[in-house]
Amino acid sequence: MKHLPKHLRPRWRYLLVGIEAWPDAEVSRRDFQRSVWFAAQNLLGDATSADADLRVLSYEFDAGEGEAVVRARRGYVSEARAALACVDAVRDDPVGVHVRGVSGTVRAGEERYLGRARENSAEEAVVFRNATTRAVSRDGLVDVTVDGGFVGATRADLE
Amino acid sequence: MYEAVTATPDGESTVRRFAATAARQGFEGIVVRNAAAVDPTFDATAVREAHDVDVVDATEIVADDPTGASGPLSEARRAHTVLCVRGGTPTLNRFAAEEERVDVLTRPMAGQGDVNHVIARAAADHDVRVEFDLGAVLRASGGPRVQALRGLRKLRELVEQYDVPYVVSGSPTSHLQVRAPRELRALGEAIGFDAAAIETGLAEWGVLAERNRRRRSADFIAPGLERGRHDTER
Repeated sequence: MKHLPKHLRPRWRYLLVGIEAWPDAEVSRRDFQRSVWFAAQNLLGDATSADADLRVLSYEFDAGEGEAVVRARRGYVSEARAALACVDAVRDDPVGVHVRGVSGTVRAGEERYLGRARENSAEEAVVFRNATTRAVSRDGLVDVTVDGGFVGATRADLE
Repeated sequence: MYEAVTATPDGESTVRRFAATAARQGFEGIVVRNAAAVDPTFDATAVREAHDVDVVDATEIVADDPTGASGPLSEARRAHTVLCVRGGTPTLNRFAAEEERVDVLTRPMAGQGDVNHVIARAAADHDVRVEFDLGAVLRASGGPRVQALRGLRKLRELVEQYDVPYVVSGSPTSHLQVRAPRELRALGEAIGFDAAAIETGLAEWGVLAERNRRRRSADFIAPGLERGRHDTER
């Protein structure tokens, strides 16, 4: 279909989102998009979530950390924020979602808020609560393996 | 604005990790609900300096009935800056609301919990804050979430009617569950709160910590008896 003349095109706002998860999480773009849609639908209902029209435009995720650009219709930024706050897990992996900023163009938003990937993660052996265990560390933040799960810690918590 | 967190061993992240996350998301401080269970040698000042967020030591008394809750009350009041009592049954809610020493009645609507006009008025009279726990709205779905929303609404109407002091939290148990103040505000608006009310509730933790720190400081010789400005050190 021929695209709309400029003054009839919808106006968008772009939410620049940081994603965090445990190091073993596999969060694919499809699954993240599904979770966003579900969160919006469950919180806002069909009508408002269709109006907000949330869509994941660009997505990057690796080793427990990622970034995404989520599009929302102008005037629905607050609803979009609320819906994104309710994304607590993607499939069965708990995720932390943080809206770093909102922008009127993708490029300005990406330049301003994204691309701050911290230094590469490294796996190492650490001593935590008087026991030696494996951990994945990144930029002073350490995810320690404890009893099959993880504990979020920092460098200063280790002995 | 402050967030009230549950750190390991009850939660999944350490206080420092919570502090790092909270600082990045724009909180002024965190309230550690289970400060007693966290490492007793824990140094809040060091965390404050490292991450530039305030760390408030708090305790949450969890009991089945008022008898069980009143036992540890005095000791907990002495030992911690902020004292919370977890509600969850009408009798416990009423007990906590009528107890001057309690700062915050947490999760009043969870489980069997309910709040009525008597409890709301008692909480206002005794300066006990009730907690709006957004945790279930953030992380539950379906029936439990609907119940949580219904509870929040009832509580909100009573709080407005009787001018009850309140706090707001997302009650995270791991750093992944922390949501920024702006997100909580947007969520609050989506479920019928005033944006300003959410902010007031998040800031109230800080007000509370400030007040209690002053009361526990050396300026107070006894409860209600403060060293005056003309009183020089001898």
